Amino acid sequence: MISRRSMLRTGASLAAAATVGTPAISHAQTKTLKITTWGGKWGDIMKATVLPVFEKEFKCTVSADQAFPFMPKLQASAKNDPLYDVFHTNSNEQWSALTEGLVMDKFTTKEVPNVADVHPWSVSDKIVGVAIFTSAIGLGYRTDKGLTPPKSWKDLADPKLAGARGGYLIPVNSLGQCHLMMLGKVYGKGLQDLDAAYKALEQLKPIKLVDFTGQMEKMLLSGEVSEGVIHDSGVYRYEGQNQPVDFASPSEGVMALEQVLNVPPGSKVKELAYAYIDYMLRPDVQKLLAEGVWYSPANKKVKLDAKYDAKLLTRPEKVATLIQPDWKWYNARKDDIDARVTKILKG
Amino acid sequence: MSFGVDRSIDLRHDAEPMTVVSHRPSPIAWLIAPAVLLFVLFFVLPFGVMAVMSVYSGNPVTNPNAFLTTRHYERFIFDTAGIFHDSLWATLRIGLVTTVVSLLIGYPLAHWMARMQSRLGHALALMAVIAPLLTGIVVRTFAWMTILQDKGVINTTLIGLGLIQKPLPLMYNEFGTVVALVHIYVPFMVLTLIGVIGRIDERLEQAARSLGAGRLRAFVEVTLPLSLPGILAGSLLVFALAISAYVTPSLMGGTDVLTLPMLIAQQVGTSFNPNFAGALGVILLAVCLVIVIAYNRILAQLSGEQLA
Repeated sequence: MISRRSMLRTGASLAAAATVGTPAISHAQTKTLKITTWGGKWGDIMKATVLPVFEKEFKCTVSADQAFPFMPKLQASAKNDPLYDVFHTNSNEQWSALTEGLVMDKFTTKEVPNVADVHPWSVSDKIVGVAIFTSAIGLGYRTDKGLTPPKSWKDLADPKLAGARGGYLIPVNSLGQCHLMMLGKVYGKGLQDLDAAYKALEQLKPIKLVDFTGQMEKMLLSGEVSEGVIHDSGVYRYEGQNQPVDFASPSEGVMALEQVLNVPPGSKVKELAYAYIDYMLRPDVQKLLAEGVWYSPANKKVKLDAKYDAKLLTRPEKVATLIQPDWKWYNARKDDIDARVTKILKG
Repeated sequence: MSFGVDRSIDLRHDAEPMTVVSHRPSPIAWLIAPAVLLFVLFFVLPFGVMAVMSVYSGNPVTNPNAFLTTRHYERFIFDTAGIFHDSLWATLRIGLVTTVVSLLIGYPLAHWMARMQSRLGHALALMAVIAPLLTGIVVRTFAWMTILQDKGVINTTLIGLGLIQKPLPLMYNEFGTVVALVHIYVPFMVLTLIGVIGRIDERLEQAARSLGAGRLRAFVEVTLPLSLPGILAGSLLVFALAISAYVTPSLMGGTDVLTLPMLIAQQVGTSFNPNFAGALGVILLAVCLVIVIAYNRILAQLSGEQLA
């Protein structure tokens, strides 16, 4: 885990870079940039280092909303005066926002120059806006239960794990939705083979389901669950804390849980919003956050310390294991899927 | 809006005394104005917005293409998904069971506290009842999770003592949900009942006993009917809170429990469909109003018959 000293050191270097100045938006002055962002360790680093440096460099104030869910609030605000100037969510919500015309589609290097240096997954056709980080959704497991480290998604169906396997309430959690699509791939013809996925889901009962990843972390740490679906950062963040948990990347691939930034078209400070996205893609900012919360950075130029580089998706062979779901396809049939899985998992 | 009238007498010598009506609001009426304003701002207005949203295809303020439709209500009524009616029934069932259990626990406690002679004892008991309210619902629910989960206090103890082999299913079902809801809402029942039972003249019960009634009969025929207004108020309060609960059923219910408030939160927070959420809200309120009015009438009738 990143130390306070290294965080301060990186913060100082970011601040030094800020004094050099950037050409993109020197006229921003005292504008306010309204953003969404996460809490927890991510929020701590943002508040302590990332946002103050950005404010100083661009002579603006950043107003950060950490109270999830963000999408209903954006929906409720006027399109020509949106509640947020930068919309940070996971990929599934960005696609819903795009459908309603609440965010932009893509960015060019003219708007966000650092887009030129990102991994292809960051701006693929499965992404709206630009993904600045990704996590790998795989299997977390207890190392003190005599379990063989899982190699396949099918290992979660091991009868020995009955009642001790964990998943998510699929209607409300995108990791659960990714898991469902992965079941279609592993047991059927592909990510969109819902019939195979439903059948496989039935076989996972009894399974303990939670509605957010923090709860899954707690269940793994307490031993309530021996093996469960989780993102790599949800396990790696406990490294060095002597916790009997580890993360496994199944051979069929890991699902992507991207951190995506976007700009509502009606933003009054669009240039500043682009500058913020560009700033978040800078190698030094990416390194600070990636090592702080164990997220795989989007910028290819980022050089992580060895222990992070060994586990995160930085090298081409590891990036190749990342599977990005088609959220446009999923969102279009979400209501039907929600009803079906609710009935399957009830009881 | 009218807040009431002042009536005064005209005392002119050249005229017949007559009553005139002043349109000035009475001072007392002004005192309730903030409450009325709050009610309008925080209930009538939001509910009105929700009701309007429920008959539109989108947000008519931000989307000029939004049109009037009944499709959200049709979606619930025809329930092709097969989960909405179950969800409504589960909501009402959990509300009903929570109310009954809260009443069964709360009534004896309230009766005991209302009849307590010692002021210190009453104050201590009152503190004990109020104490849980000083902790947030999320914290209290998490506390129940640590007690009821498979690796929780109860199951670990029972397995440790060799009394059971596998953990009892205490959580992720309606049982766990009701247990946590009862814990949260019993104080509301007790506090409502104490006031009503405390105002019942004890001598009435004593008179019944002096006329030969046993302790149980005196309670059933004298105290219980007189405390019906408290039972009614407490039950309605707990029922209303229980059917609108979101956090506790979400955390304690797992996949076995899907209530309408959970569905509403899903529609707003993850399906981004506030219009259908609005329709579910209107339906929940309408069904509850029907139940509350029916309950009110039955209990009022029962109370009248008992007193007669």
